[in-house]
Amino acid sequence: MAGWTTPWNVRLVLPQMLVIAVGAGAFGLAMGSWRAPEQAVWSGIKLPVVLLATAAGNALINGILAPLLGMNLRLSESFVAVLTSFALAAAMLGAFSPLMVFLVCNLPPPTPGAGGATAACSVMLLTLVGGIAFAGVAANVRLFQLLRRLGGESAAGRTLWSWLTVNLLLGSQLSWIARPFIGKAGEPVTFVEEHALRGNFFEEVGCAARDLWLHFQP
Amino acid sequence: MNNSPSPTLPDEASSDREAIDGLGGLIDALLRQPRRIIHRLRDETAGPVTSSLLMIAVGFVAIYGVIVGSFSGGGQWWAAPVKIAAGLVITGAICLPSLYIFAGLSGSTARFGEVTGALGGVLALQGLLLLGFAPVAWLFSQSTASVATMGFLHLVFWCVAVRFGVRFLMTALEQWGLKGRAGIRIWVAIFLLVSLQMTAALRPLVGTASTLLPQEKKFFVGHWLDWLSTRQP
Repeated sequence: MAGWTTPWNVRLVLPQMLVIAVGAGAFGLAMGSWRAPEQAVWSGIKLPVVLLATAAGNALINGILAPLLGMNLRLSESFVAVLTSFALAAAMLGAFSPLMVFLVCNLPPPTPGAGGATAACSVMLLTLVGGIAFAGVAANVRLFQLLRRLGGESAAGRTLWSWLTVNLLLGSQLSWIARPFIGKAGEPVTFVEEHALRGNFFEEVGCAARDLWLHFQP
Repeated sequence: MNNSPSPTLPDEASSDREAIDGLGGLIDALLRQPRRIIHRLRDETAGPVTSSLLMIAVGFVAIYGVIVGSFSGGGQWWAAPVKIAAGLVITGAICLPSLYIFAGLSGSTARFGEVTGALGGVLALQGLLLLGFAPVAWLFSQSTASVATMGFLHLVFWCVAVRFGVRFLMTALEQWGLKGRAGIRIWVAIFLLVSLQMTAALRPLVGTASTLLPQEKKFFVGHWLDWLSTRQP
């Protein structure tokens, strides 16, 4: 882990990018293959791109927040640390991809109106969320260990939470723009949706919560 | 900003007296060693340091303003950065005398020039953080049509920036003998009110309007409620 704080150099960053491309790419391929081979290719490209774009887009703010919250990290070091945690998560996702392929082989295909298609979709979504959440938590535990070593318990906690918050903010929106990852039954397979930039993840969550609330109103 | 030895302040470490080289060095000190800047605000380089801090603040906030303007496009490309940068400077100018008074009442020995420098640090740190948030703000600007959502997001980013700016101010004033924080907290409340009112006084910042500046006077809460009640998309 000491290597995580090594100042920026291509020899350190390139392998991490490669791990993200291969690991997250494999997981994307596996999840997209449930819908169609084309979807598998698109998801295999989009998932690593979302991870890399999140790390790059937040590089500046992560690098600014770290020293302000008590971590003695330079901008490049913050970027490398975040990138490495993403690489660790991607490696885990890559390791899960055979399991995902096995799941895809055993689930009914997403054919509209087919028996069990709705349940299959739910199983797929829950497995995806579970796999990504596990990889994310494990990678951040490792990141916390590194930050704690560099700046002590409380500074590490503050920095990790601030990084998680901004990464979640940007990452969720980038994922929203890059949708679909699984694809919908009965709809053509596309790289991104026609109106990819319309709306945002949080508005959608807000609308869903409002609809749910209205649904249960007397 | 290269400097010669200057008087030592209480609780000052030798690293606090290190020279600050150029704008890059100033930004680095702002993030990592604010006490180096605080030290410089008490010596003969205080003027250039204060000017550089204000330059950083205005420059970075103007860049963020371009991102704010990208939401509506058109005339807002230039109007938003100009208005936001002007709003920052006006807010600073309006609040500076009261900061000096509250700092003095709270036991600080800082002179007016030093308080000006500290406020410059507050604004520079705000600008720096807003610049960091700019990529996220840009992405959301391009993917939502809701003025309320964008306004809220900018407000959250601005609040985070102010929070760190105020921490810099407290560090500076404590270095200069501050005895109690209550007075400065009142000033922070005033600063927040003035800044928030700027969002109404210089409207529109996020959306569009038929005129560059408002024709009607409004309190910022009323302005925001009007936006929410009109249920903009």
